[in-house]
Amino acid sequence: MEPPAEFVHWMFATGLVLIGLCLLGQAIVGDEVWRRRAWRAYLWPGLAFAMGVLMFPVMVFFTNSTIHMLAHGSWAQVMMLAGAAELGLVRGKLHSRYWRLTMPLAFVVSGAAFLIHEQNSWFFARAAFLHHLIGWTLIVGAIFPLLAFFRPRSAVWRSGFALTFVVLGVMLYCDRDLAPVFGHLSPQAGQEHR
Amino acid sequence: MKRLLPLCYLVGLALAVPGAAWAHATLMGTSPSFQQRLERSPKFVQLRFDQSVKAFPNAITVYTAKGHVVSGLVRPGKDPRVVTVPVRLLARGAYTVRWRVVSADSHVASGVFTFGVRVRAPPPTAAFGASGPTTREHLVRWLYFIALALVGGGLGFRLLIVRGPLPAKVERRFYHVVGGGAVGAIEIGILAFLLRAEDALQLPFGTFLYGDLSPIAVLRFGRAFVVMTLGFAFVCALLFLAWLTEKRILLWPAFVLSICLASGLSLSGHSAVDPGSSWLSELADWAHLAAATLWVGGLVQLAFVVWPLAPELRRTAFLRFSRLATVLIAVLLGAGTYLSILRLPHLHDLWTVGYGQVLLVKLALVSLALLWGAAHHFVVRPALERGAAPFRGLPRSLIGESAVGVAILLVAAILVESKPPPQPVRAPTAASHAATP
Repeated sequence: MEPPAEFVHWMFATGLVLIGLCLLGQAIVGDEVWRRRAWRAYLWPGLAFAMGVLMFPVMVFFTNSTIHMLAHGSWAQVMMLAGAAELGLVRGKLHSRYWRLTMPLAFVVSGAAFLIHEQNSWFFARAAFLHHLIGWTLIVGAIFPLLAFFRPRSAVWRSGFALTFVVLGVMLYCDRDLAPVFGHLSPQAGQEHR
Repeated sequence: MKRLLPLCYLVGLALAVPGAAWAHATLMGTSPSFQQRLERSPKFVQLRFDQSVKAFPNAITVYTAKGHVVSGLVRPGKDPRVVTVPVRLLARGAYTVRWRVVSADSHVASGVFTFGVRVRAPPPTAAFGASGPTTREHLVRWLYFIALALVGGGLGFRLLIVRGPLPAKVERRFYHVVGGGAVGAIEIGILAFLLRAEDALQLPFGTFLYGDLSPIAVLRFGRAFVVMTLGFAFVCALLFLAWLTEKRILLWPAFVLSICLASGLSLSGHSAVDPGSSWLSELADWAHLAAATLWVGGLVQLAFVVWPLAPELRRTAFLRFSRLATVLIAVLLGAGTYLSILRLPHLHDLWTVGYGQVLLVKLALVSLALLWGAAHHFVVRPALERGAAPFRGLPRSLIGESAVGVAILLVAAILVESKPPPQPVRAPTAASHAATP
């Protein structure tokens, strides 16, 4: 009944790409133009919050190892937190700009979870490589929302922040289970799925 | 840009070159299956994984209920995804299988499951080697009860007692307390699940991180964890949206959901699985827990939110809560008495059995809370109704009553984890004698 892990990865990758594209659009056209339609301001924070909520089913239904359950749980919570903080700021319910620091925090926590739950070295396998790459991209990429916090009008940092999401989405599309997108994997992986 | 090209090539190459399967091996099936009851002894125990694994000779060990090993060494087979171990001719009884293999990616995967030969298999949490609830689990269960009270009772108080708009600072503290309870229910729930799984798997921490939790997740306890974690995540989302949009209507589904979710404990505890349990015992357990949640959570809101921050609401809130508390206490006592009679078949069990002794402590605390509540109901309430000013010690008195309520939750946590005495075997009826050839 559970969907294969790769489908779940793809669904969340789609969400990350959408968030990245929204942020990129906002960085390119500027806040004033972006918010001419009031709902647009809620678009990416709402999506991040919803993705956090949707990560909880992934956490509780994929219990074949403790570390994966904990990693999915940490992603669920930081996505909800970062999305909620941004929604609160947009809505005017939160006033301190320090709430924007929840986004770099979410990046660092997510990156650490990726790196901790991968036991193998970079070149052990494609997925191990991707886990390391995603982990470090998140940790290094935290610099963009952090610098955007200090320089909120800088198009460079905001674009970097947006592109980090897009890149993460693309990596997550590749971080699949046994799908023969680039050819079938090792015979150790068993028979081909499709 | 030229400097970046080698890196781009490297990334592209790593993505394109086929490698081994990612992550560790996942257990796809076992023979015998989890908690299967067999009518005759199996000749072997077999595990099937989704990918090839390295199995050492002692990769699978089968224990009797007393801890005797009845399995041999792993047999090399044709399929590297299947691990098989022979077992002796097994006598009637319950057996525990503990396994540990190395995945193709070098991750160590391990787990535990049980089966029975001509008997019902125990859950993995009662497998050989599992030590049962510890002080840590009692503490975690207590914190879980407090979290339930903060969220369910807090929402009930807001929706049933102080229904109108509140001053901003009161509203803020209400959301802090209730939100803290909802987040606590998720975090403490995860911790409780992991503690139970750690006890069942009996693995060192480093290995436990890669332990297979799926046999625990399919138990009643595991299903309760799944439903309650998902439910409280949804409650968190509803609370946040209610705060964000200032739409109190969203608090209603959050309230109903959090009270319904308390049934997860009833449906996975003594009232659901012990001999003599029925839908009525499950319902009574849920009513007992829901009433306690509303009572303690409401007291906390009254003592820590309304009383210090909203003097204009004190009188109304106290009088309304006093009326609600009367109903809650009635439900609490009715359901508690029924459950006590069900679990303790003899009166002397109260002082001769561990479960009964803990229940006695709980009854003593409940009596104290009732006396305290009665003083509020019969002394303070009439004075407030007459329009007199509340006496100066009332805030401290409310905090004291809340503290007793929290202490009752601690004893309840220990009681939930304790084992009631066995039920007496019923004498066969005349009808059953007649039916026996």
